[in-house]
Amino acid sequence: MPRTTDGIEVEGTVVECLRNATFKVELQNGHKVLAHISGKIRKNYIKILPYDRVLVELSPYDLTRGRILYRYRT
Amino acid sequence: MNSSHFTSGMDEHAVVITQVAERQWHAVEDDRTVGRGDASRRPDGRMFLSIDSWHAAVFDQLADAMLADLPKPLYTVVDEADLDLTSDWERAGFTTRRREWEYLVPTDPRVTGLGAVLPPSGVTIVAVGEAEESPLRKLDREIRDEVEASVGWQEMPAEVLPRPDGATVLDPSKYAVAAQSDEYVGLVRVAPVTRQPRIGLIAVRSDQHRRGIARALLAHVLGSLHRCGIETASAEVNESNGAAMALFEGVGARRASSNLELVLR
Repeated sequence: MPRTTDGIEVEGTVVECLRNATFKVELQNGHKVLAHISGKIRKNYIKILPYDRVLVELSPYDLTRGRILYRYRT
Repeated sequence: MNSSHFTSGMDEHAVVITQVAERQWHAVEDDRTVGRGDASRRPDGRMFLSIDSWHAAVFDQLADAMLADLPKPLYTVVDEADLDLTSDWERAGFTTRRREWEYLVPTDPRVTGLGAVLPPSGVTIVAVGEAEESPLRKLDREIRDEVEASVGWQEMPAEVLPRPDGATVLDPSKYAVAAQSDEYVGLVRVAPVTRQPRIGLIAVRSDQHRRGIARALLAHVLGSLHRCGIETASAEVNESNGAAMALFEGVGARRASSNLELVLR
């Protein structure tokens, strides 16, 4: 199997749930990104709400976009 | 490990699709993972897929690789508001099987109108966490048999699906029940999520329908949550379940979002 690198993963906090199935997430460095949720989160019916702490993978093509990979337990 | 190569169309870089585990696929471009596909089997035996990619072209290639390998029927879940993802799956041949509404349910009796609701004569409500396991398990079995004989469990929320061996996870600390004489006739399951509790299942034995038992159970749990300072609960309801939608909308619940279950037969 070829060696690959995963995307940039950063922690953040959900600040807003937007209407088009996206979330505004404030990263630890203060930047805000628009993020969808990953298919695994959706498949497992995990709910994402404001103030949730999450792990976000940033898009390699657009660093203002991301995907929520994991919701930390509060 | 199976690999296939293609040019994504985004640029001239080739994307390689690789099956990295029995039910996992990666899309790799310039040694960088730019897409992932995953297949997993639900407790009811159905295979659900997910694909994460940054571009539709990569989604299509992952879908092609996965669909070529996996036996049909295949399922997935999308947020209906996510038009791009829904469109991606439709391109792969998936069609809508059912819609599930997510309701936000107020708990304040002044909003729900449930403040004065009492259970019907002869019925008492046993608070969350106080139900006895043996009669609760008996009622759970009866209700599951009734559902199986009617709409079937594939129409039910994922969290209450039975396991392949028919066993069910039943934690009495999450249930309030309606008791009549020496047996239980109705139940409501509440997942005590601090941020927003979820009403996972509300059901009444078929011979006790139309007596107001479900409404009394709902009044009880929503009132309890309100007294704990919780303003809203959530609940998912299948669009085909008119009785449940009427029950929740009758207490002021509003639709917040909807999930589509898609199928490829």
